Amino acid sequence: MTVTVSHRRSAVAAEGGALTGTGILLRLALRRDRIKLPAWTLGVSVMAAYFALVVPKLRPEADILEAGRALMELPLMQVFSGPLFGLDNADKSTFLMLAFVVEFQLLAAVVNILLVARHTRAEEQTGRAELVRAAVVGRHASLTAAFLVAVVTDVVMALLLTLTGVAVGLPAGSAALFGVGTAVFGLVFAGVTAVTVQLTRHSKAACGIASGVLFLVWTLRAVGAVQDVRGGWATWLTPMGWSLLTRVLDEERWWPLALSVLLTAVLLASAYRLSARRDLGAGLMPVRPGPARATARLRSPFALALRLQRASFYGWGIGLAVVGLLFGGLAGAMRVTGTAAGTGSGPDMVDGFLSLTVNFLSWLVSILMVMSVVRARNDEVRGLVTPLLATPTSRPAWLGSTLLVAALAAVGLLALSGLAAGVSAASALGDGGLVWEVAGMTLARAPESLVVLAVAAALFGLAPRILVGAWVVIGYGGVARFWGTNLPDWLLALSPFNHIPRMPVEDFRLMPLVTLSAAAVLLVLAALYGFRRRDLDSA
Amino acid sequence: MSAIDTKGLVKTFGPTRALDGLNLTVRSGEVHGFLGPNGAGKSTTIRILLGMMRADSGRAELLGGDPWADATQLHRRLAYVPGDVELWPNLTGGEAVDLLGTLRGGLNETRRSELVERFHLDLTKKGGTYSKGNRQKVVLVAAFASEVELLILDEPTSGLDPLMEAVFQEVVAEMRDAGRTVLLSSHILAQVEKLADQVSIIRKGRIVQTGTLADMRHLTRTSVEAETAAPVTGLTGLPGVHSAETAGARVRFDVDADHMDGAIRHLSTFGVRTLISHPPSLEELMLRHYGKGEA
Repeated sequence: MTVTVSHRRSAVAAEGGALTGTGILLRLALRRDRIKLPAWTLGVSVMAAYFALVVPKLRPEADILEAGRALMELPLMQVFSGPLFGLDNADKSTFLMLAFVVEFQLLAAVVNILLVARHTRAEEQTGRAELVRAAVVGRHASLTAAFLVAVVTDVVMALLLTLTGVAVGLPAGSAALFGVGTAVFGLVFAGVTAVTVQLTRHSKAACGIASGVLFLVWTLRAVGAVQDVRGGWATWLTPMGWSLLTRVLDEERWWPLALSVLLTAVLLASAYRLSARRDLGAGLMPVRPGPARATARLRSPFALALRLQRASFYGWGIGLAVVGLLFGGLAGAMRVTGTAAGTGSGPDMVDGFLSLTVNFLSWLVSILMVMSVVRARNDEVRGLVTPLLATPTSRPAWLGSTLLVAALAAVGLLALSGLAAGVSAASALGDGGLVWEVAGMTLARAPESLVVLAVAAALFGLAPRILVGAWVVIGYGGVARFWGTNLPDWLLALSPFNHIPRMPVEDFRLMPLVTLSAAAVLLVLAALYGFRRRDLDSA
Repeated sequence: MSAIDTKGLVKTFGPTRALDGLNLTVRSGEVHGFLGPNGAGKSTTIRILLGMMRADSGRAELLGGDPWADATQLHRRLAYVPGDVELWPNLTGGEAVDLLGTLRGGLNETRRSELVERFHLDLTKKGGTYSKGNRQKVVLVAAFASEVELLILDEPTSGLDPLMEAVFQEVVAEMRDAGRTVLLSSHILAQVEKLADQVSIIRKGRIVQTGTLADMRHLTRTSVEAETAAPVTGLTGLPGVHSAETAGARVRFDVDADHMDGAIRHLSTFGVRTLISHPPSLEELMLRHYGKGEA
């Protein structure tokens, strides 16, 4: 009897060692996320259903299928959604679902990034991981549990998307390919994040790096889609491409997904190796000592806000400049393919693409604006703001400086990325005048980002508990701007991104810029007023 | 003249009444101990005094001004140390000290370097990498190196080791000698006993006792444990003796400060071999005087 017991014990220790406790941690994670997980997975499939069922009904009179097919053949749509398959075999409902596969993939990836970071690095950062690891829990248990949470989520998401697909009229096999393909892409980013959380001490930074990788993948896919409507070599480099190249409702095949699974396995194995090489709570990137004295410049809330966000601005600057260069360069491809395909004349196509590019840049910068305000709110709740406000720094001075830094960053980043797009478009099209034209067009969109900043600020000042609502402006604004051609005008007018003329397709008008800027100023005043009057919150 | 004066402060958070008619007076130039168990309303009071929150009703006066309306001007004259501070993760401790000092209107440089020395503080580490005690030292140095009239310290030594706690006590004593006013919030009776001229005890959002510690002697009840040659009898009948238990030659009981002498006289008739006595903790004190289970 005794012998059997001790034998079994040593067997467990030998096999389970590093993984001991994974089951309990998995249950803990599922329990903690019992609201989040159903909400996220359902959210993605409801969005799929929305596109398939509701959007066509908003414009019943228009033949959305004909218009849509014509639209999707445009090279500029390939940039956002390509390479696209199966559209010729789709009906009114399934068409929109297939046309938005890339967007579903992005959502799936974001869900996975947030999940893995939340259950690994965020736990270490708060010190809870230490508490857990001090119990009978193996070295790799928390990473494994976090990854399994992602697997569970992706399986549920695949099922829900498959069901949605069947419900809107896809054949069962195609629906499954669509659902599984989307979820598997998400899983790849669970693997990516498992690696990035090993690198940095902060969960936010790990999410940032993973999002950067996601953006790179998205961009490479776009390049490949412009190279060839059925996917160029650049598309083949990316897991996003592998999911798309299963060619749902076309010549369907499952094997490209094996590449994604293989990549996930490699990423996960690297994550384990990296994790074994570092201490709990530490990152692989070393922390260097800094100066013992503050420079003379670091003496105002403005200087502090700038200092705290500087690194993030540099990162965004690099990312946006790359987008600008890439998109500007693609303008050359627009002229060639546009002329060759005979879908409209070359210059129109180029103009349309350039207008879309600058819109996209301003939308991206607006994301940073919401992030700045969310960051201010986090600082407030974590108690980083109280010591500042306990000095003669007034509340309007602190909030005003924080907003001013963000606003200046918006203008600077738009100028930089606009210039990058301009230089690249000018060299691709051999038209030097484009440098300043494109840069000007981009800069003219600054009021859009400023309004988004001001909306977030107003929420921060007046109703900080629903600050997360600022993301609705980004989400809805993106949908309305890039895919909302079928929405009624009054719905489009609700978005800040639909007021400034779409130069160079439309002519410049000053009035919308003035109105948007005035709205931004009013909202900021409301923010300052609200923040002066409300209690500071603490965790 | 009083540095802090509140009358009938009330603050509610949903159904919770955090402050329930709080009257607190701190005279200029004194070290005022602000004692209370966790969750009694100490930090809420301080947040109102700093203008981070507005009271639902009641009146608060800080350095002769309104802490909400005149926050900016008043903050030139005070320094604040929170009990659980987070620093900016990508700023070094030194940068944080300088920034807070500069925003407050300038640091005393000699004082800054002297304090860094005394608290053994490494200023070159990033805010995110400090241990709790070291984070606390960063804000303490920033506060003590500022030329201000009033120091508001909210459980300022949480996480400090005993050596650093001793340094902290020295520095606070120097502050008092230099004529500064100190509001020292704490839940540790011993710390307040060593430093405070005046003490206010807060419980469930109200001040229940205020005065010097000597005034509060009637509140203190000492625990006594002894071993005697013969078993002790007749303890329970003595005035001021509570919850006496005897087990053979061992005895333990609590006694009011005013009746200590009588109890010890009684005890010595049985031949005292060992004697241990210790003062009550704040928690014991609260439990005893203000009801069980709701301290």
